[in-house]
Amino acid sequence: MDYDVLVIGAGIAGEEASLSLGEMGYKVLLVEKGPSIGGKMVLLSKTFPTLDCASCISTPKMAATYHHPNITLMTYADIKEVTRNKDGSFKVRLLQKPRYINEAACTACQECEKSCPVMVPDEFNFGLTVRKAAYIPFSTAIPTKAVIDIDNCILCGLCEKACPASCIDFTQLPREVEFTVGSVIISTGFELFDAEKKPAYGYGRYKNVITAMQMERLLAPTRPYNTVLRLSDGKVPDNIAYVLCAGSRDNTVENKICSRVCCMYSLKQAQLLMGVLPLADITLYYMDIRAFGKGYEEFYQQTKTMGTNLVKGRIGKIDEKENGNLILHYEDIDNGAVKKQAEHDLVVLAVGLVPNTEITEVFKEDKLLLDDSHFIKEIDEDLHPGKTSIDGVFVAGTSSGPMDIPDTIIHAAAAAGHAAVHVEKLKKGSQ
Amino acid sequence: MKGRRIGVYICHCGGNISDYVDVEKVREAVSKEEGVVVAKTTMFACSDSGQQEIIDDVKAQNLDGVVVASCSPKLHLYTFRGVAARAGLNPYQYIQVNLREQDSWAHTDDQEGATEKGIRLVLAGIKKAKFSTALEPIVINTKRSVLIIGAGIAGLRAAIFLADLGMDAFLVEKEAEAGGWVRKFKRLYPQEKSGEEIIKELLEEVSKRENITLFTEAALVEKTGYVGDFNVKIKAKEDVISLNVGAVIVASGFDMYKPKEGEYGYGAEGVVTLPEFKQMVEASDGKLTYNGKEVKNIAYIYCVGARQKPGVENANVYCSRYCCNAALHTSILVSEIDPSITQFHLYRDIRSYGKYELLYEEAAKKGATFVRFGDDEPPQVEKSDGNLQVRVKDLLTASQEVEMEVDLVVLVTAMIPNKTEAIASILKIPIGRDRFFNEIHPKLRPVETVINGVFIAGACQFPRNSSEAVVSSLAAASKSAALLLKGYTELEPSVATVNSEKCKWCGLCEEACPYSAIEKTEFEGREVATVNRALCKGCGACVPVCPEGAIDIEWYTDAQIRAMIEGLAKEIEVARV
Repeated sequence: MDYDVLVIGAGIAGEEASLSLGEMGYKVLLVEKGPSIGGKMVLLSKTFPTLDCASCISTPKMAATYHHPNITLMTYADIKEVTRNKDGSFKVRLLQKPRYINEAACTACQECEKSCPVMVPDEFNFGLTVRKAAYIPFSTAIPTKAVIDIDNCILCGLCEKACPASCIDFTQLPREVEFTVGSVIISTGFELFDAEKKPAYGYGRYKNVITAMQMERLLAPTRPYNTVLRLSDGKVPDNIAYVLCAGSRDNTVENKICSRVCCMYSLKQAQLLMGVLPLADITLYYMDIRAFGKGYEEFYQQTKTMGTNLVKGRIGKIDEKENGNLILHYEDIDNGAVKKQAEHDLVVLAVGLVPNTEITEVFKEDKLLLDDSHFIKEIDEDLHPGKTSIDGVFVAGTSSGPMDIPDTIIHAAAAAGHAAVHVEKLKKGSQ
Repeated sequence: MKGRRIGVYICHCGGNISDYVDVEKVREAVSKEEGVVVAKTTMFACSDSGQQEIIDDVKAQNLDGVVVASCSPKLHLYTFRGVAARAGLNPYQYIQVNLREQDSWAHTDDQEGATEKGIRLVLAGIKKAKFSTALEPIVINTKRSVLIIGAGIAGLRAAIFLADLGMDAFLVEKEAEAGGWVRKFKRLYPQEKSGEEIIKELLEEVSKRENITLFTEAALVEKTGYVGDFNVKIKAKEDVISLNVGAVIVASGFDMYKPKEGEYGYGAEGVVTLPEFKQMVEASDGKLTYNGKEVKNIAYIYCVGARQKPGVENANVYCSRYCCNAALHTSILVSEIDPSITQFHLYRDIRSYGKYELLYEEAAKKGATFVRFGDDEPPQVEKSDGNLQVRVKDLLTASQEVEMEVDLVVLVTAMIPNKTEAIASILKIPIGRDRFFNEIHPKLRPVETVINGVFIAGACQFPRNSSEAVVSSLAAASKSAALLLKGYTELEPSVATVNSEKCKWCGLCEEACPYSAIEKTEFEGREVATVNRALCKGCGACVPVCPEGAIDIEWYTDAQIRAMIEGLAKEIEVARV
């Protein structure tokens, strides 16, 4: 066996699973399809209910993962196929995508980035800013190395001239590699609900309707504008609305379930906004406030005490005024269920977590089953949470369903435990 | 200390520090300090590029001490010790200065003051670094065995996991039978399996494994030793058993809130708690009856013993997490017995989080009626003429006063902490404001406690359903395995050390030590004190009582503390605007 365990996806769940296994003494291959590890957590502002800065909690885990002697990290690599060998181990075929830079020589000086004339929307800022075609994903990326986005590159050669270490290399080719591993952990995370699927809310048409993930970026320590502003005219908003359950608990978008985190992150953003914009009014339009974890109810009560308005009612539709302000149509359930309208100058959609099922396709022989909500199915939640329909393949974190960071971390440590036991059985069997 | 070469890094912390502390001014002020070779500011010192910069400087400038002024050492001390090690330095030649929790966050209203304080704090750190010496961690050989307190679903599952990794597990259960709460129920969501069967299955698995020992009617009575090598005493029935274990997992579960007499009519016939009702439902044979009478109308009242207003004595302010889902699931079971039974759910918020939303949908589809009451207007339950009357203002129907006559009132009661005081005092683990056991950090170390080698799992940490309790027990067991499988662990060397030349053995230090870490020994024919380094916590209680000044705490030596005071008190100039 080349590695005891393959971990797919290097967000917080993949890092935690890899570190647990690494500490137990197992050899881990951690594969990330993007150019940096860290997943979505490292892009958040602060985290509920303790208001710890997300970077401060994420970056040490990222660095610990990167430097752990038992963890081999491959970034910018796609899993192509996982098949089972006769002895019960798995054969994994991967594609290492070229970064078009010599990774060992790159010092992350950003000269290539400065010289590059191509601008594309920055996915790490959820479209709020642009990045170059030659770029470093974000300031705390690991590895801190440049990458050339060849799909958008115009091959002008300016970066090649600018690079002081001469490490730009357009001759690099995709490389296929194969490994044998004892067990597999899937920690590929979630996708955010695509708010354009809810046209009544106007996302994509109204500039001042943004997603909560965009608000995370506006509030983060590495925030692009160094303040919170709305996109139509750069005005600092003073009357902000949150639309909860945007794309969750909603049959019309085929997502019946609750996303578990939106109530709490909305309350958290409300608290942070009260710090950044002390005079702004903040209103949460909600169905039920689901503050169910340790310290969450206390956080909810504190947010109310600080002056956040809470209105029970689902938003029916949103209209845009000429000045960019937005009219929200809703039913005020607690006050006689009358239809009302309210004007706000910025609307934040508390978008939910939806499944990311890409990975199911790499399992060619055994089928990786999904549950009714299209997340990876846990076949025995009572006694083997994290066990999938394929023996030896486990799931960690939000690949199995929406969950918050504390739940993700214990779920990942549990998955690591299953993988360790599986590897031990495999080793005994081969003796 | 002449000839030291120190590197100083002042972190912006992405604005957390630099929004309030002028980091450039701090850098400039401390760069003039004797021995400082490198002084830089950095956006995120903890990021990989930040770490690499430090490593490169140490190597290029031949540094022999590093100071990072950033966040609390609780967050990043080990991160930067790792950086120092990778740069070829001894990790104890790294000093962290807390510019965030102890400066920028504390003085957001006074930026000049915060900057001045920042300069002083960094100067103190530099002074300490100048007196730093290379230290080696204390290596402890760890036992591959774990004591698990509580043989409910969490404890049993953890034991099986540990045994499968070749470790010994000792389960200590206070009751005569293992299985805890789960054993009492026949239908558990989401898989609809019988709790009784699950526990039977687990106990069979336990009996198959030679390396699991289960003690019933047993309790932990004593713990000595340290991480990796604890000596514990168990009282099982009449016997006292001594065990040597590497770690302890507390899985002592929860208790159920017992409503006070008269709380929502509790005590009157027909008013029952959810667990009592669930057992009634599971035992019913085609017909739901209570005291021989058929049940046709039920009112569930949610949040009984949870989300209580603070201020009341022992108020449970927290949300008890499991109860909405459990009540909805029970409602579905009732509909399955007899779909004509009317079920009113009187709630505040339905918290059927995640996929449990499907339980809410199903209960509603099967006819459950939902009535929402305000936080300040709880329902009133009255018993008159043998009938139960429930009155409530329903927010969902324009605050109409609704009156219902029901056969049963089901109080959806909260999970509350089990009796935890004895365990807490023996293991010295903290209890939170919600009176459940507390983890070190909900995200960084969610199943670990402040006591190294003592872990928490399941509902003793916070209310959880059985499947969630198993997730956390597997996590705690994984972390125990990560600690013990290697066969050794390393402890901080910042412990007391006795200068045998100076010591005249008077015994004062032995008396002062709360950890029994000091003993008498012989040195050159004289009696002197010696320190058991594995037991010593470095608390320093022995240092001031020594009349000879013979004791020092490594990494906090008298020389270092004196130098730090000099740094803090140094005259500095900061331009005040």
